[in-house]
Amino acid sequence: MNVYTPILVLGILAFGFALFSVVVAGITGPKRYNRARLDAYECGIQPTPQPMGGGRFPVKYYLVAMSFIIFDIELVFLYPWAVMVDDLGLFGLVAMLVFLTNLIVVYAYEWARGGLEWD
Amino acid sequence: MVHLAVPMAETLTFPSLQYRAMAPILIVLGAAVLGVVVEALVPQAARRAVQLAVTLGGLATALVFVVATPGSELGVVAGGTLAIDGPGLFLQMTILVVAIAAMLVVAERRVDPAGDAFAPRASSLVGSGEEQEQTRRGWSQTEVWPLSLFAVGGMLLFVTANDLLILFLALEVMSLPLYLLAGMARRRRLLSQEAAMKYFLLGSFASAFLLYGSAMLFGYAGSLDFAAIADAFRDKPGQLGLQVIGLTLLGAGLLFKAAAVPFHMWAPDVYQGAPTPITGFMAGAVKVAAFGALLRVMYVALGGAAWEWQPAFWVIASVTMLVGVVLAVTSSDIKRMLAYSSVAHAGFLLLGVVAFSTAGLSATMFYLLAYGLTTVGAFAVVMLVRGPSGEAGHLSSWAGLGRTSPVLAGVFALFLLALAGIPLTSGFTAKFGVFAAAIEAGGVWPVIAAVVASAISAFFYLKVIVLMFFARPGPDAPAVVVPSLLTTTAIGVAVVATLLLGVFPQAFLDLASGSTPFLR
Amino acid sequence: MNPTNYLVLSAILFSIGAAGVLVRRNAIVVFMCIELMLNASNLAFVTFARMNGTLDGQVVAFFVMVVAAAEVVVGLAIIVTIFRTRNSASVDEPNLLRL
Repeated sequence: MNVYTPILVLGILAFGFALFSVVVAGITGPKRYNRARLDAYECGIQPTPQPMGGGRFPVKYYLVAMSFIIFDIELVFLYPWAVMVDDLGLFGLVAMLVFLTNLIVVYAYEWARGGLEWD
Repeated sequence: MVHLAVPMAETLTFPSLQYRAMAPILIVLGAAVLGVVVEALVPQAARRAVQLAVTLGGLATALVFVVATPGSELGVVAGGTLAIDGPGLFLQMTILVVAIAAMLVVAERRVDPAGDAFAPRASSLVGSGEEQEQTRRGWSQTEVWPLSLFAVGGMLLFVTANDLLILFLALEVMSLPLYLLAGMARRRRLLSQEAAMKYFLLGSFASAFLLYGSAMLFGYAGSLDFAAIADAFRDKPGQLGLQVIGLTLLGAGLLFKAAAVPFHMWAPDVYQGAPTPITGFMAGAVKVAAFGALLRVMYVALGGAAWEWQPAFWVIASVTMLVGVVLAVTSSDIKRMLAYSSVAHAGFLLLGVVAFSTAGLSATMFYLLAYGLTTVGAFAVVMLVRGPSGEAGHLSSWAGLGRTSPVLAGVFALFLLALAGIPLTSGFTAKFGVFAAAIEAGGVWPVIAAVVASAISAFFYLKVIVLMFFARPGPDAPAVVVPSLLTTTAIGVAVVATLLLGVFPQAFLDLASGSTPFLR
Repeated sequence: MNPTNYLVLSAILFSIGAAGVLVRRNAIVVFMCIELMLNASNLAFVTFARMNGTLDGQVVAFFVMVVAAAEVVVGLAIIVTIFRTRNSASVDEPNLLRL
């Protein structure tokens, strides 16, 4: 059980900090409300369906999602390598470098061909 | 300190990698990655030439490495995941030859007033101003090349996979680029995109079946390795549920790629909708890869269970041939007709697979070589016959082609005769081989069905030949494009192979039978 | 807990996915059903790895996840392109290829 203690402590610390921040901000912060403040945060979408043919998301969100998922999921291979990095030694390092080179090639391709321009 | 990790050996053992034996696969996949770099760094104007060089160079180098593989390198390599053996090398050679011919056709630029057969950017809206601007500037689609190379790399892996995981990965590496390639046609793009979507949805459905079947076999045998699965079938009775479910689902996934009935529904739609050079590539090379993997799985991993799958496969083979030819007779579009004919050929090829003998193995491999090259040639000819709005798909517009362009019609007639299996063409030698192997294995009734199917198939192949040579050209007679050296070379190779394998087949028959059996 | 229960769950998930592919009409939903089938296979692989005492099945699960992600990207690319052209993602509507 004691191996989980650090995780538990970390959880308690995080929760405590969140609670502390909210409470202290509510007590000490100035209270000025305006329209911009009540909007969704800048990277979010409006929480209610927008009048775009029955609540469809614009297609460009799918592009962002595709780029995200491909680079995000590929990194799953780093976890087993990171856990066993000492035992895997040079062989593992070289294999991982080859793998990352391939990912960088794909990234360079996406960047050069305008896949990261979302407007 | 408490250890969370599962108990394991103190020192890890690394798999030894036999780079020489794996060289063809590594070269093709390396060329594909290089192709992506080229896409990123080389400016639009120079990209096509560079990609063409990378693609053809990569494929040719890989072919040289396959042919020159020394006998001492043969064996099960890379920690037991790949089997570089006689059949594997023969199939890799076939795939590379077919792929090179197909890539020459893909490179053809005279088929359309605007250039090659592909949309400048597959993602642009069809007919939009953006697309017209791209066409006006003469942009060409160059992503075709790396995508094709990835597909070829997957195929080379697929026919040598000796492990359920590699089998699944190779299947996906082969299929994912093909789904995209199917949707890139310049003309009739809506049709093309629709074909891509159908191919994608049905293809991933089939690979999910293959994966679940692999999971069941893994549960039964306790290993992913084909040899270990074969041992389990021999030594470990019981758990019939896992055996049968695993075998059925894995077989269904593989038969889908091979386009056998009842998993053939995608073939006509995808063959018709995809850009014709890609259709030739798919019909030729994918067929080789699918049957190569099917042969290895059935002979090596599931050989001990032959009594379980053989009866079902006899039925599937017979039904596939008959359904394929009957549907081909009823279709009026040339690409659909060739697609149904490819379904029928899947049935003939299955006769060799189900024979489950050395003769069946070598006959199937010879058939794949003959069929792959003939098919690439046939689709290349289809690409060249064009009406005002793209290819002249409907059979009626092929009327009288023998009078207006006798050489092209003659070449096409040769390909059709080979597909029908007329003597002195490669198709006859190939069919004879699989029929003999099937009879030897006791499949008299399936061979009778095959002979009936061949007779029916001769009807619709000859119908096209008669139409070309003995009918008058209609008012909407298509124009025949005079191809550049690229397509001419590809068609020439196909013609030579079709005749050579028909008239002097012995050297190639010996090569195929000398390549057997599978190593495990 | 008996690992067989996980196998039953994976069979149920696989069947739900397969039925969904055959029944649903929206390309994206069909596609999600296929992903469900892949993940059902993953569950079966991991369970068998536990039952057989090898790690192979867990390795497979890793690779299948990555392949599934690649499949998502290819599939979304195709579906989005069709959607942009036709403003619909129904699998019934594109019917140019029926004779």
